[in-house]
Amino acid sequence: MNNLCTDIGFKSVNKKGEQLCGDHIEIVEQNENSLVLVLADGLGSGVKACILSTLTSKIISTMIANNLSVEECVSTIAATLPVCEKRGVAYSTFTIIRITNNSEAEIIQYDNPHVIMLRGGDNYEYPRTSMEIGGKTIYKSKLQLETNDVFIAMSDGAIYAGVGKTLNFGWQRDSIIDFMVGNYDSKMSAKGISQLLLDECNDLYGGEPGDDTTVAAVKIRQRIPVSLMIGPPSNPQDLKKMQTLFFAKEGKHIVCGGTTSKLASEYLGKPVVPCLDYFDPDIPPIAKIEGIDLVTEGVVTMTKVLEYADSYLNGSISISDLSMKKDGASRIAQMLFEEATDISFYVGRAVNPAHQNPALPINFNVKMQLIDEVSKKLKAMGKNISVSYF
Amino acid sequence: MNVYVCVGSSCHLRGSYKIIELMKENIEKNHLEDKVNLSAAFCLGKCTTGVTIKVDDEVVCGVSPENFSEIFGKYVMEKVQA
Repeated sequence: MNNLCTDIGFKSVNKKGEQLCGDHIEIVEQNENSLVLVLADGLGSGVKACILSTLTSKIISTMIANNLSVEECVSTIAATLPVCEKRGVAYSTFTIIRITNNSEAEIIQYDNPHVIMLRGGDNYEYPRTSMEIGGKTIYKSKLQLETNDVFIAMSDGAIYAGVGKTLNFGWQRDSIIDFMVGNYDSKMSAKGISQLLLDECNDLYGGEPGDDTTVAAVKIRQRIPVSLMIGPPSNPQDLKKMQTLFFAKEGKHIVCGGTTSKLASEYLGKPVVPCLDYFDPDIPPIAKIEGIDLVTEGVVTMTKVLEYADSYLNGSISISDLSMKKDGASRIAQMLFEEATDISFYVGRAVNPAHQNPALPINFNVKMQLIDEVSKKLKAMGKNISVSYF
Repeated sequence: MNVYVCVGSSCHLRGSYKIIELMKENIEKNHLEDKVNLSAAFCLGKCTTGVTIKVDDEVVCGVSPENFSEIFGKYVMEKVQA
């Protein structure tokens, strides 16, 4: 076990006029530190391609995750895939990226554009050995991981982007490498990386992709723990314990809630200094306490964070949208959605008498559900979440 | 003189934003920038009767846009001029 972790992001656009994507991505997480990602591109487009790529990625990911050899995977696929009537072949290309213990990567590629690897922001030509399995040429690589290594897998829709429209021959893998190196930002998440490349491809296609296009990014990052404390404990005697555990946690600290921050300021012996600036009339201002990275109001701000999490997951807002805003909820969102890899919630279950007013849209149950919902969204973003109640 | 406007959850929902805007406006209108120091405060502990403000050590509850000018006159103007 090291202090690295894997961040994954992927996205597809469909060929113009198609409702189904002929590319498919399958991820099998074997445990916290090991996973298998398969990107498959089925022959043709539409339903047929979708079935081929779904079967291929599902079969390969399951078999590789169970330590079966590539040879066996390939022969299983050859024997399983339905043969196309028109073309007389059963065919789906694939790329496999397997991360073991967050320390070693194995890349197996068949007929997709080769995986681009960035190390320290520069293109890294990793060694590849070719082998023949059932008449197919398959490339295998194995390498040791370093912090900020980025692997970018794509379907051929990416390198054909713009053919006959904006570019004569599409943009080649080399141009994609130049583009990714030029736009490299060590803070960018895997989701951000895949989005960046896919948007560029889609632009080159003039918004009308000539082929299904899929980009998957795997980023090896340093773990960044963030702890968030909200609400005083239901039993005042647990306060000390809760605060000691919270402040003992390494990484960044966020405190939410008026009473909670007052208690934290007493614990640290530093005053709460509220800011007067309402950056967004809907979200209460933040405050500052020396020694705490971010201090905000509680339930109203968290409700907004949940809203942002929804929009972030469905792609209607991006991290750069959030980083332009300065309100408490956007700041929490940036720290949790982008920076953090491991998030610990310290939730106090004291009932705030002021909130039990039917005229107010907040009450105790809402607060508890809020944390549940936010943790679910964060899990969907691939974060490790722990929640402790007091 | 120090004036604090509570921006805790309850007061926020009852309109702290509006009260802060009114405060800023009125302080400017009456040229009190040098005399009144306006800041936000986290929960002042009077959640059920917000919006709560604190003028020096005196806590005033139930401030709303409707009674704002009355409260501003009584707690800020009179004291500043006294």
